[in-house]
Amino acid sequence: MDKEEVKKRIAERFGEKVRIGERSPERVYVYAENEIWVDLADFIFNELDARFDTGACVDDRDGVEVMFFFPFDKEHYYLTIKTFARKPNPELDSISNVIIGAKWIEREIFEMYEVNFRNHPDLRPVLRADTRPKDFYPAKREVKDDHEPPRRRDDGEERADEVFGKPPKGKNP
Amino acid sequence: MVKKVPIGPYHPILEEPEFFELHVEGERVVGIDITIGWSHRGIELLSEHKTWDQVPFLVERICGICSCSHPYAYVKAVEDLLGIEVPLRAQYLRAITAELERLHSHLLWTGLAGHFMGYNTVFMWTWKFREPVLDVLEAVTGNRNHYAMLKVGGVRRDIPQEEIPNVIKMLDELEKNNAMLTNAILDDPVIHARTKGVGVLPWDKCREYGALGPTARAGGYDIDARRDHPIDAYDKLDFNVILCENGDVFDKVVVRQLENFESIKIIRQALKAIEDTETGDIGVEVKEVPAGEGIGIYEAPRGEVLHYVRSDGGNMPIRHKVRAPSFNNILTNEYSVLGSTVADAGLITAAVDPCYSCTERMGFVDTRTGERKVLTEEELIKLSVEKTERIRKEISQGKRLRKS
Repeated sequence: MDKEEVKKRIAERFGEKVRIGERSPERVYVYAENEIWVDLADFIFNELDARFDTGACVDDRDGVEVMFFFPFDKEHYYLTIKTFARKPNPELDSISNVIIGAKWIEREIFEMYEVNFRNHPDLRPVLRADTRPKDFYPAKREVKDDHEPPRRRDDGEERADEVFGKPPKGKNP
Repeated sequence: MVKKVPIGPYHPILEEPEFFELHVEGERVVGIDITIGWSHRGIELLSEHKTWDQVPFLVERICGICSCSHPYAYVKAVEDLLGIEVPLRAQYLRAITAELERLHSHLLWTGLAGHFMGYNTVFMWTWKFREPVLDVLEAVTGNRNHYAMLKVGGVRRDIPQEEIPNVIKMLDELEKNNAMLTNAILDDPVIHARTKGVGVLPWDKCREYGALGPTARAGGYDIDARRDHPIDAYDKLDFNVILCENGDVFDKVVVRQLENFESIKIIRQALKAIEDTETGDIGVEVKEVPAGEGIGIYEAPRGEVLHYVRSDGGNMPIRHKVRAPSFNNILTNEYSVLGSTVADAGLITAAVDPCYSCTERMGFVDTRTGERKVLTEEELIKLSVEKTERIRKEISQGKRLRKS
């Protein structure tokens, strides 16, 4: 669908709840309020017939900026929708119920940045090891660069401690 | 009763860790649970601690096969942020490296698919045909893999003019060999019986799941980032986007085999362009990256790669998001593997050419007895090979009609 037509229809449908910008002819951005997030994604994917690509987020001091990419392939441009999930408990409605392909990327954003996607069909961590603590979100800006996550110790390590002595405190809790 | 049959996490049917838990009723798969993350290395966070120029070396290690595609998408993201265009010669050099990579990736997958079906002749042929491609990559870039060819603003090295005839000679040989291989595969009744109507992913499901690359094109989903979002020299190069309509494993083989011819065509055109110009700039100097954001897209052999970068004006990205095509494609197994047999499940999951390092196990559960069974890579391949042998015997004894 033509770019100007897409911008016009989004503006007509969502009015002041969206801001539409264009950085280059191939990059269009739509900044949306949280409450219309799912409706906007549904409208772009199902009514404007865009393809769903993936999502990403940027962690900020006051919240997490969540974005999803919708390419319009025949017209050669990318439409990115963005919203801001405020801290201390960033939350958003899940778009997985309208776009199945968004399931994994929402799970990834949740486990890395602690953005809680409400009504997600299965919001389990998708990438991290079972040994990682449950309330640890590794990509959050609050996690320091030199942070060493606690590791699960198996019997072999316990035995090694008996033979070689315990490791220095704090290095391997 | 549903039984759960775990395949993986280590060496399920491919070379990297992944865990698929198949829910089966007898031989029939009725559900699947996929667990990824076994090779998670935190590349995005690592990247946010490297300078703009160091990142290409890191992202080309995301995947050994896509060691041009990831840097390509990354440099395009930074160039999108900068709003710069790279010199024409560098654009053609990028296309040559990327298409050589597509050739060796598609040949590698066809060989592996042959191996899974018990066709080790296909495996040996394709890997033999793949070797000269790697030799050429070494001659052109200095490395068989991890080419370190791309940088923000251009490429790191030019192709020596005296190497061009060798590349053209390799392409002529490969074109003949690929034609022979394609005809042999497309004419084989056993391959037809093993792959046609197996693991079907129709057009509408490709769209819902966001399938990419040959997985999507096999189902008739007409997308190709090289044509739809042309970067660099691709809008000056003539090539066709290969489309099929059934979305089964057979069509996925066909798409990849025919794409090889298109890649050869692209490389020939790009070589002619750089041969005609002889010399020219291969890069522009980038001194600093201003605050902003950029999206880079490139059609890797497995599908579209997307990189997103955010800059605060410093010498490192403050955010770098990488989305490999397998992240979208592996999820499609949720649909395509349902209703298949256990012997076909391995082939179907392999048909998306999954790159687990890019994404990141397989198990079975019998729904009647609740029995749980773990299949090793050897057992899974054995099941698949036995099915091929059974079909081969039935065809030779006339018990099964040949499909064409």
